[in-house]
Amino acid sequence: MRVDVQGLTVRYGDVTAIDDMSFSLSGNKIYGLLGRNGSGKTSLMSALAGYRRPIGSVRLDGEPVFENAAAMGKVCLVRHSADAADKGDKVSYVLEYGAAWRDTWDNAYALDLVELFKIPLKTKVGELSLGQRSALGVVIALASRSPLTMLDESHLGMDTPTRYAFYDALLNDFMAHPRTIIISTHLIEELASLLEEVVIIDNGRLVLQEEADVLRSRGTEVTGNAADVDEFTAGLTVLSERSLGRTKAAMVYGSLDDEQLIRARQLGLELGPIALQDLFVHLTEPVGGKR
Amino acid sequence: MKIFRVLAKTLTAYSALVAAGVFAFAVVVTFIVSAFRGVEISAWNVVTSQIARWFLLWVGVYVIHNLLPIAVAHGRTRREFLVAASGFSVVLALAMALVAWLGFVVEGGIYAVMDWRADEHGTPLAYFLMFLVWCAVGMFCAAAFDRFGAGGIFSVPVGLALAVVTTAGIPGSGNLPFIRNVPVLLGSGWHAVSVLAFLIALAGTWAVARDMPIRLRTT
Repeated sequence: MRVDVQGLTVRYGDVTAIDDMSFSLSGNKIYGLLGRNGSGKTSLMSALAGYRRPIGSVRLDGEPVFENAAAMGKVCLVRHSADAADKGDKVSYVLEYGAAWRDTWDNAYALDLVELFKIPLKTKVGELSLGQRSALGVVIALASRSPLTMLDESHLGMDTPTRYAFYDALLNDFMAHPRTIIISTHLIEELASLLEEVVIIDNGRLVLQEEADVLRSRGTEVTGNAADVDEFTAGLTVLSERSLGRTKAAMVYGSLDDEQLIRARQLGLELGPIALQDLFVHLTEPVGGKR
Repeated sequence: MKIFRVLAKTLTAYSALVAAGVFAFAVVVTFIVSAFRGVEISAWNVVTSQIARWFLLWVGVYVIHNLLPIAVAHGRTRREFLVAASGFSVVLALAMALVAWLGFVVEGGIYAVMDWRADEHGTPLAYFLMFLVWCAVGMFCAAAFDRFGAGGIFSVPVGLALAVVTTAGIPGSGNLPFIRNVPVLLGSGWHAVSVLAFLIALAGTWAVARDMPIRLRTT
C-alpha cells in the first residue's frame, strides 16, 4: 500500500507534534520509523491510521484515510498498548472482535501467534503481564493482515527471546503476505536487519528517508590499532568510539574517498558498515546537545 | 451491520442476564422482607424505575468510551460505529423494556399467589423511552468527556435535563422539579418529549464523537 503524506501538521493545544511533514512510502516494504522520545512518531502513525483528523493530507493508495471506510479498513495500528483490546475483556474475546470487524483478519494465524507467545486465552487483558500485553498487540497487528500495518514500539515490553520470536514471525509473515509494515522502535540494532527503508523524524519534522543499505553506506566503522585508527580518523566526523586493549573501533560519518581507502589499507585497518543506531544518534539531536 | 451484530449479540445478552439475576435477587429480598412485615410495594418496580436506568446509562458510556476506540483500531470508521450504536441503543432499550414487562408479569403472579400488594408501575412504552434516553445520555456524556477531558463536565447538566424528563411517566422514579403538573397535563403526549430528548442526546453524541481523536490508552 502506497502512503502519501503532504503538509501534515498535528497539534495538541500549543504543542506542535508534527510540523508540516511531507513524504511518500512506495509500499510493500518493512519501514523503520525512528525518532527520539517526543519526536512525533506516535502522532504521525495516529494520523496515518485515521485515529485523528489530519491538518494536511494523508492518503493511502491515493485515498484520504480519515473516516474513509475503504481506506481505514486496510490499516492497523497498534500503539504501546493494545488499542484494540479493553482491559476487562478476555484475550479470546479480543480475537473475536478482530474476527468480527476486520475483513482481512486471519483467526487461525492469530491463534498460532497466541500459542507462540504463550498468551492465555481465558485471561483478561488487564491481568496480563506487560510482555504478554505487548505480545497481544503484535498478535492483533500481524493477524489483521492489513495492507498497512503499523507497530508503535509495541514490542518493547517483551523479553529478549519473545522479541526474537516476534522478529521471526514478522519476517515470515511478510514474506508470505507482502504488505507495508511500519515499525517504530528504540531497539534499532535488533531490528536493523529487517528494515528495508528508514524514516527518521525529529521535533515533528522529517530528518531523513533512505533505503537502509544506502543509509548504512553513509558511514564507516574503522577498526584496527588504536594509534592507526586515531591517525586515520583525525579530521573526520567520529560518531562514537570503542576500545578493547590496543584495538579500537571508530564510527565515521560521511563517505571515504579513494585516497582515504588506500590509506586505510596501508594502515591495515578494517572498514565495515556503520551501525544504524549510531547514525540515528548522529542525525537526531543528541542528549548532550551536540549534533 | 457487523458492528451492530456484535453490540446487539454481546451487550443485549449480557444485559438480559444481569436483569434476570437482579430479578431473582429482588424476589428473594421480597420473600425475606415478607417474613418481617407485609409487602406493599413492587420490588421489581424499584429495580426498573430506579436502578435499571443507571445500568442503561453505564451501557451507553461503555459503548462510546470502551468500544468506539476498539472499533476504530479494527479499521472501522466513527460513522459506521455511531450508526450501529444508535440502532443498538433502540434495540437494547426495547429488549430491556420487554424484560421489565416480563418481570412485572412474573412478579404479579408471585404477588397474587402470596396475596401481596404491589404499587403502580409505568407502561412498557414509558420504560422503553426512559431506557432509550438514559442510554443515549450515557453515550453523549462519555463522548464529551473522552473528547474534551474535564470540559466534558458541561455535558452533565444537559444530560441530566434530557434524562430527567423521561422519569415523569414512571411511578417511583421521582417527579420533575418545578414542572410537576406539565407531564400530567400533556398525558401520553409527554412521550413525544422523551423522543425529542433521545434525538437531542443522539445528535449531541454524533456531533462530539464524529471526528473525535482516539487517544492513547494506558492499559
